[in-house]
Amino acid sequence: MGAWIDTLHAFSTTLRNVGRPRVTEKLPWKRLRVHPPRYRAGFALTDDEHGEIACIACKACENVCPSQIIRIEAERRDSPVTGKKRAYPASFVLDMNACIFCELCVQVCPSDAIRMRTAWQLPGTSREDQVLTLERLRAHAREGHFSEATSSGLRAMQDPARGTPGTGGGAP
Amino acid sequence: MVEVAGLRLPAAITRRPRPNPYLRVEDYEPEADAMALNMGPQHPSTHGVLRLKLYLDGEICFKAVPYVGYLHRGVEKLLESRTAVQSVPYVDKNDYVSPLTGELALVMAYEALLDVEPPPRAQVLRTILMELQRIASHHLWLGTFCLDMGGALGGGSSIFLYNFRERELILDVLEELTGQRMHYNALAVGGNRHDVPPGWDVRVRAVLDRIEARLVEYEAMTLENHVFLSRTVGVGVLDPLLALEAGVGGANLRGSGVDHDLRRDAPYAAYGQVDVRIPVETAGDCYARYLVRMAEMREAIRIVRLLLDGIPEGPIGALKPPRNVNAIKLPPGEVYVGIESPRGELGTYVISDGSPTPVRVKIRPPSLHAVSLLPYLCVGATVSDIVIILGSLDPILGEVDR
Amino acid sequence: MSRILDLLGTIWEIGWLRGLVVGFVTLGTVMLIAAFTIWFERKWTGRMQNRPGPTERGYAGWLQIFADFFKLLQKEDLTPTAADRRLFGIVPPIVVFIVLSSLAVVPYVPQGPAADASVGVLFALAISSLMVFPVWTAGWSSNNKWALLGAMRAVAQSISYEIPLVLSALVPVVLAGSFRLTEIVEAQAGWRWFAFWPPGPGLVAFVLFYLATLAEANRIPFDIPEAESELVAGATTEYGGMKFGMFYLGEYVHTFVASSLASLLFFGGWEGPGPDGLHWMLAKALILTGSVVHVRWTLVRYRSDQLLRLCWYYFVPAALVLVFAAGLWRIFVGGVA
Repeated sequence: MGAWIDTLHAFSTTLRNVGRPRVTEKLPWKRLRVHPPRYRAGFALTDDEHGEIACIACKACENVCPSQIIRIEAERRDSPVTGKKRAYPASFVLDMNACIFCELCVQVCPSDAIRMRTAWQLPGTSREDQVLTLERLRAHAREGHFSEATSSGLRAMQDPARGTPGTGGGAP
Repeated sequence: MVEVAGLRLPAAITRRPRPNPYLRVEDYEPEADAMALNMGPQHPSTHGVLRLKLYLDGEICFKAVPYVGYLHRGVEKLLESRTAVQSVPYVDKNDYVSPLTGELALVMAYEALLDVEPPPRAQVLRTILMELQRIASHHLWLGTFCLDMGGALGGGSSIFLYNFRERELILDVLEELTGQRMHYNALAVGGNRHDVPPGWDVRVRAVLDRIEARLVEYEAMTLENHVFLSRTVGVGVLDPLLALEAGVGGANLRGSGVDHDLRRDAPYAAYGQVDVRIPVETAGDCYARYLVRMAEMREAIRIVRLLLDGIPEGPIGALKPPRNVNAIKLPPGEVYVGIESPRGELGTYVISDGSPTPVRVKIRPPSLHAVSLLPYLCVGATVSDIVIILGSLDPILGEVDR
Repeated sequence: MSRILDLLGTIWEIGWLRGLVVGFVTLGTVMLIAAFTIWFERKWTGRMQNRPGPTERGYAGWLQIFADFFKLLQKEDLTPTAADRRLFGIVPPIVVFIVLSSLAVVPYVPQGPAADASVGVLFALAISSLMVFPVWTAGWSSNNKWALLGAMRAVAQSISYEIPLVLSALVPVVLAGSFRLTEIVEAQAGWRWFAFWPPGPGLVAFVLFYLATLAEANRIPFDIPEAESELVAGATTEYGGMKFGMFYLGEYVHTFVASSLASLLFFGGWEGPGPDGLHWMLAKALILTGSVVHVRWTLVRYRSDQLLRLCWYYFVPAALVLVFAAGLWRIFVGGVA
């Protein structure tokens, strides 16, 4: 009998929740929740200190990607800014259809070129929309909204020779 | 309690007459009509794609045959062609409800091969992450358990949504640390990949306070609820010897009275620094497993609070961060590492011959052993009970099938 | 204009014509109220679960129900190949027919229902007990083992819970001395509602009636026949489109009619502070329906044998004792031979 009285206790919880604010959002019209700075989704190829593409087509990201979604073709030509010969990616194809957003490509990049973005709306209308080419990656870089993680930032955070960091650690 | 082979077992162990899981259907004489019912891979309550072929005598089951493999993705084979730098994202996808435990098992195996010890800060952070993951996993378990009992349109869904509301808090905190809400890729060989952002521990503490307060509310809806008690008390009683023979762990084992937990008995990460109090219930039914998991949630909150007070300073990695895919070379050798995941002992067995990729990676999923209990536990239970029993064993088909 | 009024007056005089008009008006109104109940359920449930419920269609989502109705109308009407076509198809209309028929004797206004039968209570309860047949036929004709399981559980549950339902409904009948619903309400006039006077048996009888209604309507905590987590939709698994819509609507109308019966039998019907009338009747019925909704979304469900045990071990003896007690009250206190 006592357990039946205690069953009424369940109603106290549901009644108490009636007054609480909603926890759902009216996506996609309104978005209140902001992703934290380290959120990783989407990709961009950023600039180096001279203002041209930082990617040197070393293919470290292509080799490390567990899902093998990156295809790079390299070329060597003169830089219009510094005048010296350097490597460029002639084509850079990143297929987000199979991306698992593991951030390993960012981890290994030697030149802080590839970065992930905090873009929260990634849908497209076809499979081709999800295949990022060099132009789209550069366009994303111009739009900004980068995740906090860069390769040098991650490496600085993970360096075993790093001293006492305080509570920090993060990308510049 | 008696001590048997180094394990503490409840004193009154009677070897229950165990049903024969290999009973031939032709040999069974039913009282009512015998019926073969297929609880197929698509079913609202099989916790994934599990197929259970049930042979019913009226509504009582006399034989149950589980079929697994519907979610097999060949993870272990894939891992044979991935280096140590690349492997961690794959094991995220096995136990997708608590990915960090899968990552830890794999990463600890590689570290054991390399004989690398992560620095103290990484160990403590790992322990905090494991316990937060345990709380999140048990929230999901309680939600889906009540969903099995009360239905998608009904009281179960209220408890389900409340539990997910709290799980979201933990996912938010982990997203702030790692950048993803699930499939974190937070651990690397040698340590963690992400350090604590400023103010993170304050937010974690706030989340823990909120969860602790809400646990009281869940108990108001379940602990003394006559309906909940009727559905779970005495249902799916698991004999401790059967549990040990089947190799289950976690709440399934501790709910049957066996006082065994890898966090205390074979400590890893920073568990040696905290005194982990293990909840044990002797009844062995679904209610006992529920009590154990609720107590584990509270214990996890306590452990996280203890560890947050004293995170040691220092680096978070013992190896230089990888700059290419072959940065970490595994030496030849074999190693098995087992850790306490929310579902039991999650183990990773790695065989390496010195080449860049391992020869064999075998993952020991605790849910597979839980599913192997079903032919024993389902006999004598009605269809409704089978759903509850399956829920209380907390299987995740992702890690059963890999 | 005056000729129309004369026509209406003539209709009002002829008993059966008046019944017909009142019946149709009641039908329409109750269907709209059922739609309102569905809306209320979805919003209230949402509030309980920290979410808003339907918000898109219409202000606060009030058009959502009609949107769902039209969506169900335009769905493909599937009958499984191995199912018994005629039985499969005849069931949903029968469900709606049964549920709406019971409205004939339920008075919402003091002037009386569409058909003021002298055995009103019995008629209402008997008609709703016919629900066993369509549920069983649905499960059987679907040719689906899961539906069969659900149907068997539903039949066992329905016929068991009819007994406490009828017995607890007998308590106000005994106290009022009549089966006619209007007379039962009149016997409670002056705030002597049967739930509170005589103190004790009336309230317990109401609780039993309420719980038995939950079981008859297959609502949680007694909804094992349509347990979504086990049987998808129980006996009605194979039904889609408007056939499902008819079951769905039938369930809500049944709940509302049972709540109306409970307000009539135990809570004084159309009596309330201020002028009596339809508004109090509707308010009481809606409050009871709201409580049924709240119970549904708070508790988990009993297992089939457990709820049968509850019925036969607890509810039936309690109901028998209550009828006996009501009779004793009538004789010794009510002063009726």
